[in-house]
Amino acid sequence: MPKALTYTLVILAALALIPLALIARARVTTSSVPRLHLIGDMDTQPYLKAQAANPLFADGRAMRMPVPGTVARGSLMEPEVATGRDGNGWLEVIPVPLTRELMARGRERYDIFCAPCHGYSGYGDGVVNRRAERLQEGTWTPVASFHTETARSRPAGYIYNAITHGVRTMPPYGGQIPVLDRWAIVAYVKALQRSQHASLADVPPEVRMELQARMQGHDGTR
Amino acid sequence: MSDLGETRWVFPRWTNQLRVVVGVLLVVVPLYLVVLLGYGASPKTTDVGYAPEQPVPYSHALHVGQLGLDCRYCHTTVEQAAEAAVPPTQTCMNCHARVRAASPKLLSVRESYATGLPIPWVRVHDLPDYVYFDHSAHVRRGVGCVSCHGRVDTMEVVRQVEPLSMGWCLDCHRNPEPHLRPPELATSMDWVPPEDPEVYGKRLRQQLGIRPSTECWTCHR
Ligand code: HEC
Ligand code: HEC
Ligand code: HEC
Ligand code: HEC
Ligand code: HEC
Ligand code: HEC
Repeated sequence: MPKALTYTLVILAALALIPLALIARARVTTSSVPRLHLIGDMDTQPYLKAQAANPLFADGRAMRMPVPGTVARGSLMEPEVATGRDGNGWLEVIPVPLTRELMARGRERYDIFCAPCHGYSGYGDGVVNRRAERLQEGTWTPVASFHTETARSRPAGYIYNAITHGVRTMPPYGGQIPVLDRWAIVAYVKALQRSQHASLADVPPEVRMELQARMQGHDGTR
Repeated sequence: MSDLGETRWVFPRWTNQLRVVVGVLLVVVPLYLVVLLGYGASPKTTDVGYAPEQPVPYSHALHVGQLGLDCRYCHTTVEQAAEAAVPPTQTCMNCHARVRAASPKLLSVRESYATGLPIPWVRVHDLPDYVYFDHSAHVRRGVGCVSCHGRVDTMEVVRQVEPLSMGWCLDCHRNPEPHLRPPELATSMDWVPPEDPEVYGKRLRQQLGIRPSTECWTCHR
């Protein structure tokens, strides 16, 4: 075979490896370029997905804000439930049925929305609070503990309102948490407060003996 | 004269080798093209690894990995709706009204808050418009975020880690067991099953009665 032909074949073979190498590289690296739509199919259709942009409106949102004061169908509720207030001020009792499921839900939602600041046990020692205090910027207010005298005396409606509209420097969570979940959280906060000031008298008699025995088994001081 | 004519029309000896070479090329070149196309046009090449630059250098590694925020703190609709919803500016301002309140990295967040105009986040995961997908149907049935989005809690910038192709959806719909977990742990990033994932998944699947559909109309409606 003439040398030129052999060389051409070898060079072509080497060149043919380049696309493969490029593809292998594309597979292990990230790219900020969107993928190429060589064959468009019906990938993008003339409708707008949730949260898409729409230049037709001044604010650029495809999703429109509800007109102020609108109530969505099925979400009309008792004013006490919605506001946490009745004619005499804050509701003292939670206006929805207290069930085990509600408490479990409250715990889950508390851990998601409140624990980052208030801490899992409610002493105001959440991760975000500690981080913000360490930054020492001077703009952060220490998170309130739920176990002070004043905090424990707060009625249920007050806590509900604190979630809905915020309180002093605490931001409102009404946009992130639906009404029923807010009451579930209130129930859980009340339970947390009780748990940190519990006495032996709160323990049901059936298990009190056992608990007492176990406490003596330890060192009797706690 | 005749001598010259003979040498002109006789193929030189090396053309015998050329026949072999051409034969090999006829097999190798189509094979090469098929491999190139299959490998290069696969969604694993074209789609995985897409990580657009965002208007705010928001980091999941910081907020989820270090601060321990739950996905649902921001992606609030993920359990009720088809969309997981990127959070509104108010959610950022919950903290950033007071934490790093003067940070230049958060300038466009504060601007958005002041003007009421949304932050132009760039969409990362985007299925074709003819596909129907529903987050709540997965998250509430015990498929964790990590199965489809990877370890978001270690990402400085969100990137696509799965191809989101039809084959990928179907792989799991045919055999969801290794991906199942108790539904209340759907947002946990580092959860591992207490025993062999296949065995555990099988039990969970029976308990919850999970039967993902592979009918066309499930995803194309
Ligand atoms: C971003 C951090 C943050 C989060 C998250 C947060 N809080 Fe607060 N909360 C605060 C701060 C800070 C205060 C103290 C405000 C002050 O004194 O100015 C506070 C105060 C309160 C108070 C008032 C205590 C009192 O006696 O006046 C209540 C009640 C409360 N929070 C409930 C909640 C509940 C319930 C949640 C979860 C839905 C929650 N908070 C989530 C930061 C937070
Ligand atoms: C503090 C708020 C916050 C938390 C907590 C959070 N995210 Fe996000 N997430 C965002 C924002 C803002 C974006 C849009 C910007 C971006 O893509 O980085 C986003 C984007 C994403 C995207 C890409 C969306 C797209 O465009 O395709 C995914 C996937 C995602 N988040 C998953 C998660 C998961 C999983 C968790 C829990 C482990 C989580 N996020 C927790 C705020 C949050
Ligand atoms: C629950 C509180 C919380 C929420 C909600 C939150 N962040 Fe943060 N973020 C923090 C804390 C705390 C820091 C500072 C960490 C540090 O530097 O030590 C931070 C840091 C940042 C930084 C880096 C700032 C700097 O100067 O280094 C950016 C950018 C940021 N956040 C963006 C966002 C965006 C965008 C959102 C809304 C999707 C958001 N954050 C929601 C708590 C939060
Ligand atoms: C079964 C796979 C799967 C699971 C599980 C999953 N996602 Fe997604 N996610 C997707 C797909 C597919 C898209 C693209 C949707 C589209 O383009 O319509 C997406 C899109 C998103 C987006 C972009 C906004 C949107 O809704 O389109 C966010 C944010 C997100 N996911 C967060 C989450 C979080 C948080 C979780 C866990 C609670 C989660 N995802 C669980 C597959 C999944
Ligand atoms: C990691 C596993 C997994 C992946 C990946 C996955 N799915 Fe699913 N999918 C499930 C499971 C589990 C269910 C719940 C089945 C049930 O409830 O019985 C489900 C249910 C669904 C449903 C709801 C069906 C109904 O009855 O309403 C749709 C729609 C769907 N998936 C679409 C998709 C699409 C589109 C993709 C790809 C983008 C995808 N899924 C990827 C596991 C998965
Ligand atoms: C679990 C969800 C799911 C099911 C079930 C499903 N598909 Fe798909 N299909 C998808 C997704 C996701 C895509 C988009 C793939 C992509 O982006 O490349 C797709 C794409 C397609 C396409 C376009 C392919 C292209 O690249 O042009 C066709 C055609 C299609 N599907 C047909 C079907 C048929 C026929 C069935 C029933 C046998 C079916 N699909 C069942 C999820 C599904």
